[in-house]
Amino acid sequence: MALLTLDSVNTYYGRSHILFDVSLAVEKGEVVALLGRNGAGKSTTFRSIIGLTPPMSGEVRFKGEKVNGLRAFRICRRGIGFVPEDRRCFPDLTVRENLEVAVRREKNTVDPWTVERVYALFPRLQEREKNLGSQLSGGEQQMLTIARTLMTNPEMLLLDEPSEGLAPLVVALLADMILQIRKEGVTVLLAEQNLNFCAKVSDRGYVIDKGSVKYEGTMKNLLADDEVKEKYLAV
Amino acid sequence: MAAFFDVSFLTVQVLSALRQAAFLFLISSGLTLVFGVLNILNFAHGSLYMLGAYFIYALTLHLTGPAGFVIALLAAPLGVALVAVVIEMGLLRRIYIQEEIYQLLLTYALVLIIHDMAKIVFGPEFKSIPKPRAIGGAVTIFGGTVPVYTLVVVVLAPLVALLLWYLLYRTRTGKIVRATSSDREMADALGINMSALFTLVFAFGAMLAGFGGALAGPARTVFPSVGTEVIIECFVVVVIGGLGNLWGALVGSLLIGTLETVGIIVFPEFEMSFIYLLMVVVLILRPWGLFGRPLKVKALAEKNLGMEAQEISPVHFSVRPLVRMIPLVLLLIVPLFAGRYYQYLLTQILIASLMAVAFNLLLGTTGLLSFGQAAFYGAGAYTVGLLATKTGIGSLSSLLLAPLVAMVVAGIIGFFCIRLSGVHFAMLTLAFGQLVFAIIYKWYNFTGGDNGIQGIPVRPLPGGIDIGSNLSMYYFALAAVAVAVEILRRIRSSPFGATLKAIRENNQRAEYLGVNVKLYQWTAFVIAGAFTGLAGGLYALMEKSISPDIILWTKSAEPVLMTIIGGIYSFAGPAVGAVVFIVLNSYLVAWTENWALVLGLILLAMVLMLPGGAVGFVNEKARGAFGKMGWVRRWAFSKSGAS
Repeated sequence: MALLTLDSVNTYYGRSHILFDVSLAVEKGEVVALLGRNGAGKSTTFRSIIGLTPPMSGEVRFKGEKVNGLRAFRICRRGIGFVPEDRRCFPDLTVRENLEVAVRREKNTVDPWTVERVYALFPRLQEREKNLGSQLSGGEQQMLTIARTLMTNPEMLLLDEPSEGLAPLVVALLADMILQIRKEGVTVLLAEQNLNFCAKVSDRGYVIDKGSVKYEGTMKNLLADDEVKEKYLAV
Repeated sequence: MAAFFDVSFLTVQVLSALRQAAFLFLISSGLTLVFGVLNILNFAHGSLYMLGAYFIYALTLHLTGPAGFVIALLAAPLGVALVAVVIEMGLLRRIYIQEEIYQLLLTYALVLIIHDMAKIVFGPEFKSIPKPRAIGGAVTIFGGTVPVYTLVVVVLAPLVALLLWYLLYRTRTGKIVRATSSDREMADALGINMSALFTLVFAFGAMLAGFGGALAGPARTVFPSVGTEVIIECFVVVVIGGLGNLWGALVGSLLIGTLETVGIIVFPEFEMSFIYLLMVVVLILRPWGLFGRPLKVKALAEKNLGMEAQEISPVHFSVRPLVRMIPLVLLLIVPLFAGRYYQYLLTQILIASLMAVAFNLLLGTTGLLSFGQAAFYGAGAYTVGLLATKTGIGSLSSLLLAPLVAMVVAGIIGFFCIRLSGVHFAMLTLAFGQLVFAIIYKWYNFTGGDNGIQGIPVRPLPGGIDIGSNLSMYYFALAAVAVAVEILRRIRSSPFGATLKAIRENNQRAEYLGVNVKLYQWTAFVIAGAFTGLAGGLYALMEKSISPDIILWTKSAEPVLMTIIGGIYSFAGPAVGAVVFIVLNSYLVAWTENWALVLGLILLAMVLMLPGGAVGFVNEKARGAFGKMGWVRRWAFSKSGAS
């Protein structure tokens, strides 16, 4: 059984129909890429999963249970962590406070994430512990949002365009971190425009365009398929 | 001035300023906290303060002695917090998804309801709360006599500030509160229960107001309208300090407390004006307040959600021109058969309709919530009043000058206000309105101050037409209002009006299309101001006496209420709202002395059940009914050209 499945999800903003029968599945332990251009529906897919823009029809199942219809905070507590594309650290809170806010104490996780553990993964954050969220660089903010989401002990991470706007060196660093997170047992669904970045970290990929899934397959096949790349991903 | 160098005098004044600041801080810290997290500017926050004062009054009737007083001082705010929990869970929670204005309106309805409930339970008279003997006396400090209670207040408030700092910066819940006030959606996605947090923060904010009231009660007196007095002061404090910012509330309280104390000594005439002037200056120089930062533009999805929640019917039940004449014909004939009182009532309705329709050019068409329309209404009324009493000018000429003067006033005020948007715009218009009020209220030599102007002569129109009787005044007002409303209708349906609507829908996109958004907004503001001035001028002629009350902020609230009652997205909505409002008002006043309670309950029901307003509701129903019968719909809409 897949960890996360979307079954014919349709989502609207007001009256505009954004997602058309989106279906996908992510197995436990995978890193899956959701590829598509700007405005293809990647962020909306994520917002539909986490419940910020609930789908109008279709089903989102997590660990076999239906989660669409639940409020965002409940879905988060079921074990899905969402890292939005514009990073959104809390600007008035220090790095440490940003992390503390996300701690969930009531959960009986075997090996819960702690501030120390995420510092071990992102040493840079420890150096900047006392700085405010608004004082961080783009890369540091990206690390902080990922670290903050880890504090909720997710079984699955939704990463929305983590490489966007970051320097190539930082992107390479980020790729290592995602592999590291995967090693810690967290499943990852990754929305990206950057095909090379996905090639480094993910096993499988979906290509989404104009709100519907156009392609699914292994990254290896996708990389070899020039037609799909040309049609849906070339800028 | 020599007195200022006297140490004892200075001591007394400094402590009195600090005491004032202490009360202001206790109340406005709760207001700003609630705004930061819930994004609601709570008009009823002053009413919660008032409840705190009444609760300690009621408690000290039974609990006597120092211990009893302390228990009452702590129990009263808890009682207020309990009331707040009921308000948040029972009412506010249902409309978070609606646009800001409905939330404002709901809290305004609560102001009316709580005011009258307090009047019913505790009576309309002033109540004083006895202080225990230990803190009831006075001490001498540096030669000045200071009440011990002042010292208690001045010590307690900083302790509360310290406690607040501790809670917000040292506890996990406090950190969550700060996180939520900067990004609500993100906090939600991190597994934080927003509903529970909102209830908690609202109750906590109310508890602060309640504590302020409980502490202020024994120092001041308590009466039902104490809440509406204090809320405007607190708006000034939080707007100056920066909405949602705790340090802003602290600094704002100190500033206003000092200014009030100094103002009373140095310029007793213009003490009030100073406060509003300070607010105006701060908002112009730093629109987001001293410590605030620009409000975030809501995320796209969140905005869309709001739009959907109060979906406007695209098909308006538009009537044919001939049918549209029916009300006009009725308006021409009915007064002939109505008594003098009804002629007067109808004139009132006409004037109110004009004010509301003009206001809706701002709210419904352009998307600007002005809370200072009373300034232009007053400008028009005082133009007529002053010209008629000080010169021999004819009534028609003075009435024609009224919109011109209002236009100039609106031009100046609008120049500053349109630089802001949303709640800040509303607050700046409110401040300007109150500034105009404060000036007219105190300028005895020119405006008659709080006495107003009595015995405004109504002179015959050119051609010797007398408009002195109720009936002729009615027809005169009808002619003026009909012309004005027709002009407003044409403006709204002109390309200019279409541009205003585009600005309301999305001012950024309008800007990208090359529209000078600010210029359009300013023009709309001036036009609305001019017609509001005309309404004010008519009012002066009808009543033949005016007082500064017509410029108070509660007058500015009237067109807002009428428009919401009638519906903001239709042209006739505000006029319908005006009819409902005036009729309700005059009948309720005659029928019950608790008219505010009934009005508040009606408003509450409107906000919760008919967010599209009465006319929007009828449109919706008409559409639904016709939708089922396709041929009727085709028949009804094909001819009117609406689609």
